[in-house]
Amino acid sequence: MTVGIGGFINSGHPMTLVRQLITDGKRDLVVVGAASSGLEVDLLIAAGCVAKVVSPYVGAEGFAGIGPAFRKAAQDGSIETFELDEAHFYAGLRASAQRLPFNPWRAGVGTSIPVVNPAIKEFRDPINDELLLAVPAIDIDVCLLHAATSDEFGNVQHNGTRYGDTAMSAASDKTFVSVERICSTEQVRANPLATSIAGADGVVRAPFGAHPFSADGFYVPDADHIKTYLVAADTWLRTDDREPLEEYLDRYVRGVVHADYLDRIGHPALLGLNEF
Amino acid sequence: MNTTALDAPASRLEVMATVIAHDLEDGEWVEVGANLPVPRAGALLAHLTRGPNMTVMLAMTKAYLVDEPVIEDFAFITDVGAMRWAEAYYQHDQLLNQQRHRAHGVFYCGGIQIDAYGNSNLIGIGDDYRRLRFRGPGPIGTCNATVQSGRWHLVTTSHTPRVLVEQVDFISAVGYGRGEPDLRASLGLQNPGPSSIITPLCVFDFGPEDRRARLKSLHPGVSLQEVVDSTGFAFEHDEAVATTPAPSAEELHTLRTRIDAHGDLR
Repeated sequence: MTVGIGGFINSGHPMTLVRQLITDGKRDLVVVGAASSGLEVDLLIAAGCVAKVVSPYVGAEGFAGIGPAFRKAAQDGSIETFELDEAHFYAGLRASAQRLPFNPWRAGVGTSIPVVNPAIKEFRDPINDELLLAVPAIDIDVCLLHAATSDEFGNVQHNGTRYGDTAMSAASDKTFVSVERICSTEQVRANPLATSIAGADGVVRAPFGAHPFSADGFYVPDADHIKTYLVAADTWLRTDDREPLEEYLDRYVRGVVHADYLDRIGHPALLGLNEF
Repeated sequence: MNTTALDAPASRLEVMATVIAHDLEDGEWVEVGANLPVPRAGALLAHLTRGPNMTVMLAMTKAYLVDEPVIEDFAFITDVGAMRWAEAYYQHDQLLNQQRHRAHGVFYCGGIQIDAYGNSNLIGIGDDYRRLRFRGPGPIGTCNATVQSGRWHLVTTSHTPRVLVEQVDFISAVGYGRGEPDLRASLGLQNPGPSSIITPLCVFDFGPEDRRARLKSLHPGVSLQEVVDSTGFAFEHDEAVATTPAPSAEELHTLRTRIDAHGDLR
């Protein structure tokens, strides 16, 4: 199964849903991360859920330039990587949304990308005979997003720029969105231009659902918790010792329902994550 | 903040930021990302000192910052703190539809390896892609931005033989290949290629014929031998190597009080 996960680096990932994938014991997932994906993809790799990653970046900016579990699994060959640039990422999503086999793109000719990722092919275009890349459609079965609000009919509204979430949803058979708040349809009608996903297949009310990452308009990243995960994943990368990682997964992920997760993070930490 | 810090000579990273600032022209379009503090500082220094008409993209917003007394630095590209200045959002999934205007833009490309012909590698280090010795973060957007931008530079804050190599193991952003004449034109790439490699020690540019990096200037206080010892490729240089212009007192003051108040570059 191919799962798309929205957000952008340290922001806007549907973590309640991501943790549930791990609790459910999903295996061999093809994960389409965001154009810049973060440690949500790393966590899925660390938990053994992933066969292949499609993303131009997996890391956490200043916290960790490269996701440690991504690095380890890619180096030892236990995951496959679909190498591409963010422009190829959106071209592939667009091809899927358009129900086309590929979208053309110029940048990438002459690089190693079509060499290490033969799914992306150089070709001569039939109009001007220019050398271009054919980026194959990136088809997603289920897209998981996190947003600010939705009404009960799945009319989802994001705060902020919404990153690549709408493009990922457009390339997906089904879209499920966790939201900070369920709102009335009257509130949606007050600003219908703000509706970013018009009719999600399902919504999940999950306050603090992007934690430990930020949700625009609600809270900032929880640096302490992100570092807690990174220490565990880094230990696995550097020493092959999975014990701290297993402890992390047991304490915060496997079988931990959202309310209990928030309990384990604790009110002082959650209430300290103010926007400004 | 104490006055000693404000009066101290420019650090190497501050000189690097100044190189970036001096290169920019008013009216150009420049991204000010979160996780590249030196290009951020250089772009903002140009904007505040002589670039009121620059289009500044600050953490996914379009912003005009000339009148801001202190511009805080953000830890994340997604920091909503930047939205207080937003005149427009940069909607990431609209990227494919926004390439034409990037021809006015200047881009700064990093790399886990950068080679003598200006190619950058963010993919990984090793002979076998399936068994990399070091898996990099991925190309991010550097493959595309180095083709779509009007002009671009390579930058690294880590001037070591491991980063500055003779030949990258993988190319995620193509510079001049192996120095083949007219390579970029034959590939249909829309800008002339990287202008320089800017490091904490020096600036390299590229020979007009062989397309190979050559030493353009040494930062103040840096010896030629230090650059030779720190660089993984051989390079040509003038007998008397030029010195990189240091920031003026006014530029240094602007850097330290308005752009880098926390002193990350010092």
